[in-house]
Amino acid sequence: MSNQQTADTTGTTLINHWQRGVPVSHERVFTPTLLFFSAIAAIGLAMAGVRLFSPLGAFSSMNDAYAWGIWKTFNVMTLTALGSGPLALGIAAWVFNRQKLHVVMRTALVSGFLFYSTGLIALGFDVGRPWNFYNAAFPWTWNMESAMLEISICMPLYCALFLSFEVLPLFLERFYYTGSERMRVLLRRVAPYIRRIYPFFLIGAYVIPLMHQSSLGGLLLLAGTKINPLWQSPAMPLLYLLAAGLCGLAFVILLLLTCCFRYSRSLDVDVLTELGNLLSCACFLFLGVRVVDILWRGQLHAAFAFDSMSILFLIENTLIAIPAIALRSKAMRETPRKLFNMAALACVGGTLYRFIPTTIAYAPARSTSYFPSVPELLMAAGYISLGIVAFSLAVKYFAVLPGDDRDWNHVFRPIGWLRAKKPVVEVKSVAVAKSEGTTAWPASL
Amino acid sequence: MNGILNRRQALKVMAGFGGTMAAAVLPAKAEEHPAHPVAPPDAIAMLYDSTICTGCKACMPACNEANGLPADSLMSGGIWDMPTDLNSKTKNIIELYQDPNAWKAGEHVPKDVAPEGSDFAYVKRQCMHCLDPACVTGCPFGALKKGEWGAVTWNSSLCIGCRYCEVACPFEVPKFEWNNWNPKVVKCEFCFDQRLKKNMEPACTAVCPTGAVVFGKRTDLLAKAKDRISASPDKYFEDRVYGEHEAGGTQVLYLSRVAFDKLGLPKLSSTSLGHYGTKVTSVIYKWLSGPILAAAVLGFAIRRNWDRHEAERPEREKETGFPDQL
Repeated sequence: MSNQQTADTTGTTLINHWQRGVPVSHERVFTPTLLFFSAIAAIGLAMAGVRLFSPLGAFSSMNDAYAWGIWKTFNVMTLTALGSGPLALGIAAWVFNRQKLHVVMRTALVSGFLFYSTGLIALGFDVGRPWNFYNAAFPWTWNMESAMLEISICMPLYCALFLSFEVLPLFLERFYYTGSERMRVLLRRVAPYIRRIYPFFLIGAYVIPLMHQSSLGGLLLLAGTKINPLWQSPAMPLLYLLAAGLCGLAFVILLLLTCCFRYSRSLDVDVLTELGNLLSCACFLFLGVRVVDILWRGQLHAAFAFDSMSILFLIENTLIAIPAIALRSKAMRETPRKLFNMAALACVGGTLYRFIPTTIAYAPARSTSYFPSVPELLMAAGYISLGIVAFSLAVKYFAVLPGDDRDWNHVFRPIGWLRAKKPVVEVKSVAVAKSEGTTAWPASL
Repeated sequence: MNGILNRRQALKVMAGFGGTMAAAVLPAKAEEHPAHPVAPPDAIAMLYDSTICTGCKACMPACNEANGLPADSLMSGGIWDMPTDLNSKTKNIIELYQDPNAWKAGEHVPKDVAPEGSDFAYVKRQCMHCLDPACVTGCPFGALKKGEWGAVTWNSSLCIGCRYCEVACPFEVPKFEWNNWNPKVVKCEFCFDQRLKKNMEPACTAVCPTGAVVFGKRTDLLAKAKDRISASPDKYFEDRVYGEHEAGGTQVLYLSRVAFDKLGLPKLSSTSLGHYGTKVTSVIYKWLSGPILAAAVLGFAIRRNWDRHEAERPEREKETGFPDQL
């Protein structure tokens, strides 16, 4: 298709191939992998359903010393950091005008939406008295100084309103090209309004996660001395936010490279190096604040005491420091395999920072042991699998993954049960379309 | 120039007027979470003197009875109340501390051999009713609140069961009913509804036969505790009252011969956790000024870049032959 392909050592083409979101149209929908994850998701959700009618104690090994299990500490506090791609990329693209990044926004948005929504499902089954959540509608019951309030209001709001709004064009685009003429007329009428309110939604879509991602760190301030001093710090809200940006960027790189490899898509050197560069900067920013904070609080001796906490601290920061330094090199950024490895390291380092303070470094004086029970693990895995299944369906039915626009003529895979027919691709070269002047898309979704 | 204000004078007058107005309109409220909170004059308290307590545990069934709690008989084979810690059936517990060196298993060390004050001591544990409770600061919908006389109480209709109170409490007091479909947060509430409102003192202090735990105003009990310390110097650990300053001060005060941390009373700084947890956010979120400012700055940049993007859109669409994707 493309006439200017060059292959690097790993066999991946590295000329710019990403112009727009293009659905994956030549792959089977129900692969064995998808069925596997669907099964785990089904088991997890079925257990969550049973949990609705059963006390928490039967389903988890949480106890009064470790009142927060992995649903909160991993599915919510850690994985929403990976789901902060829309925040990090969005700010880079719309606030700092990194125009190249618009093409990968949809990948970030869909993954972010799924991380948040599955995290919120986890939260819904984790809280003990969910029926009292109606109080969120009555602001006079709000305790305005509680970080937990900020999270319990802002996270659902962000996911249900702002992320959903940003994901909406995916659906409208599909409806436009697959729907009836009446649908097209309607969408043509609606599209300008969406574009008019879009920038206002963008403001909310960045301010609100800035608030709740920092509040996740703010939560832990009240835990005080229960958290090891290497992590317990007044800078935790800022560090949690920076870790979210770092993880968001790293995860989008990881996801793009994984999907492009899986679906044999070509890559785009400009976008990937830009992302690699931003990731390196985010890592340096995080490490800078982390080091200043450690020095400021006089904890340097604890950092190099080489006890278990110190080693954990060193591992975590080394995992972030390696990609920070390595990705300064242009050759590293331009080699997909190396970029992938570095992004993976940053992901692990960043998520470790978000996970450790509530779990490994969380040691109440009357400490008991906590290790998630099997149902707890299955439910956590179920929520994650749900996200994987939904993402895999999204890239096949919607124009999510970035691709070459010459490969796609706005034909979407029809939605059918189990045996989706191979889509009939209307082969019409762009040149022909141009010469005909067919602007079949005044909707511009 | 007489009679007419020049620009500078006018500004001065306006600034002065504005300042006066602001001072009059805005309430001159004290800081919400001072580092070292001061107890209000009507604050009640409990004083527990570990040197007087004989470990009779009369306070435990009294507490259970007053609060309608079942006996925790798991460890006793279903016979009597035998909790191992504060839990969802136990709001008040007497614990025993034994010096592992003075009391080795199977070997009785005579009292005069063990170093003075290291043998054993009882400790009563219940909610400390902090002057600035971390659980109240963290509770999202205000289910936990510090009410009249300073008692920290729990409201079932506001609690969502997030268990942040358990994470926040430095004394590890609030407990969650893990085995209840409709779980409650269980903690000592100073017998607020059960007894205080009816003009009775809490069940534990009312029943204590030795006067090891007594009820009164915090100022009175603090003075009483200091009197005991000065009456018998060197008797009490560090010659101080635990709870006077811990975590910003608590409404349960302790005297002990044995080190407080050995009794399970944690070493805490005198700064309240509420102050530590909110000193930055209270500035950022004051009148939502931080988020509004962020929205203004981001909005300015987004608007500019959006307009630029939209202006270039027709040309870009024409060039690529495809519509712009959001």
